[in-house]
Amino acid sequence: MTTSDAFRLLVPVADSVTVRNTVAYAVDAATEAATDGPVELHVVDVASTRAVDPDAAAELAAASDLLTRVEAWVDEDTGGELPANLSLVTDVLGADRYLFSPGDYADVLLEYADEQGIDRTVLDPEYSPGGAAPMLRPLTIELSRGDVDIEEAPVERRIERTVVFRAASLPKYLTVFGASFLFYMLLSAWKPVDFLTGFLTATLVAVLVAPVAFSGQPSFLRIGKQLVRMVIYMPYLLKEIAVANLQIAYVVLHPDLPIDPEIVELQAAVRGDTAVTTLANSITLTPGTLTVSVTDRAFAIHSLTAGSRADLFDGGLERAVRFVFYGREAAAIPTPRERGDDGGHSDG
Amino acid sequence: MTPVEWAIVGLALLGAFFAGVAAIGIVRMPDIYTRTHAASKSDTLGAVLTIAAVALALQSGLSMAKAVFLVVFMFLTNPTAAHAIARAAEDQGIEPWTTDEEGER
Repeated sequence: MTTSDAFRLLVPVADSVTVRNTVAYAVDAATEAATDGPVELHVVDVASTRAVDPDAAAELAAASDLLTRVEAWVDEDTGGELPANLSLVTDVLGADRYLFSPGDYADVLLEYADEQGIDRTVLDPEYSPGGAAPMLRPLTIELSRGDVDIEEAPVERRIERTVVFRAASLPKYLTVFGASFLFYMLLSAWKPVDFLTGFLTATLVAVLVAPVAFSGQPSFLRIGKQLVRMVIYMPYLLKEIAVANLQIAYVVLHPDLPIDPEIVELQAAVRGDTAVTTLANSITLTPGTLTVSVTDRAFAIHSLTAGSRADLFDGGLERAVRFVFYGREAAAIPTPRERGDDGGHSDG
Repeated sequence: MTPVEWAIVGLALLGAFFAGVAAIGIVRMPDIYTRTHAASKSDTLGAVLTIAAVALALQSGLSMAKAVFLVVFMFLTNPTAAHAIARAAEDQGIEPWTTDEEGER
């Protein structure tokens, strides 16, 4: 640990029901420590997107908005004036990379802790950056890799959430209900009784599935846009699949079996479970490439021929998947080969 | 035969061809990864073409909608299964077959 004159306290924040109380607790702890010597209170927001992404602006704005609120809360808790020994530092971290797992968040926080010489970390028990599931426990384990004291803020947590009555999750239920009902009606005979059974079935599905169906808040506009772009994507994918099959048929039926298999790495510029799954499945369906394993955004891909590797690193599918999930502007990115995200494999 | 019937026969034959390619590929390919290639791609297309033939043959809106859903789920589940097989192989530490290893070509 970096030794220094000041005692430094790190508080990672994200929008949560307990963030206000966590900040209050941290301010209390910092004020107490400030009677013995100088204290720095670092409040940081960890962004999950890269700043170069089109949708990053909204997240970064939300982050700075939250930090402004934190500053106001600190003001409030200290009676409008920081004690002489106490200073407040706020920062947005991780805007230079994509973050997926608690391990990634821990990496960012530990790097910051190292740079700044942080002595102690106070964690919000409901800390869930990016609107994902609460990640306190895995994050605590990951953070214990570093040599910083970790402490969970002893704030009151909401007791057991009931499954049905969370106002914030209403869009989730409506989305799942609507999709199930449409699907049911599409496959039914449109008799009056079908509406009743469809309604009951969709309700049951929504109650059972909605709590686990989304990682964030669904937005009808975003889902609609993605569906439309998915429809545009299908012909392209079908073409690729047809080509894939002709190639495989050629290779399989050729007397010499002209294959040159190799496993290659690809750092794909997609994030989020659905986008990563779509890309992984598309890669498997298209010419001579098979997704073997995916860790965050690192794809291990088995390729059958040198030609299929070249196609992969041209990034056509990746651009298409980015188009489906993030929009037209996001599709215009350099190929994995140009980015150097190809594991050094494509120079041949 | 009507054009639709020709299309049905054509699709079914093409589907059978690709299913056959998948089967031959599984026999001819040297290791689990390359065999999974044959199984995941050719088999998907073979099944999809056959389902398309079925959809044309049934000639009813509802059945066609159901066939379309079948196709969609084939596209979702087949690569997922292939991925599961390949990942299981990798977890077991199975080294992929390469040309230099065999020294044949």
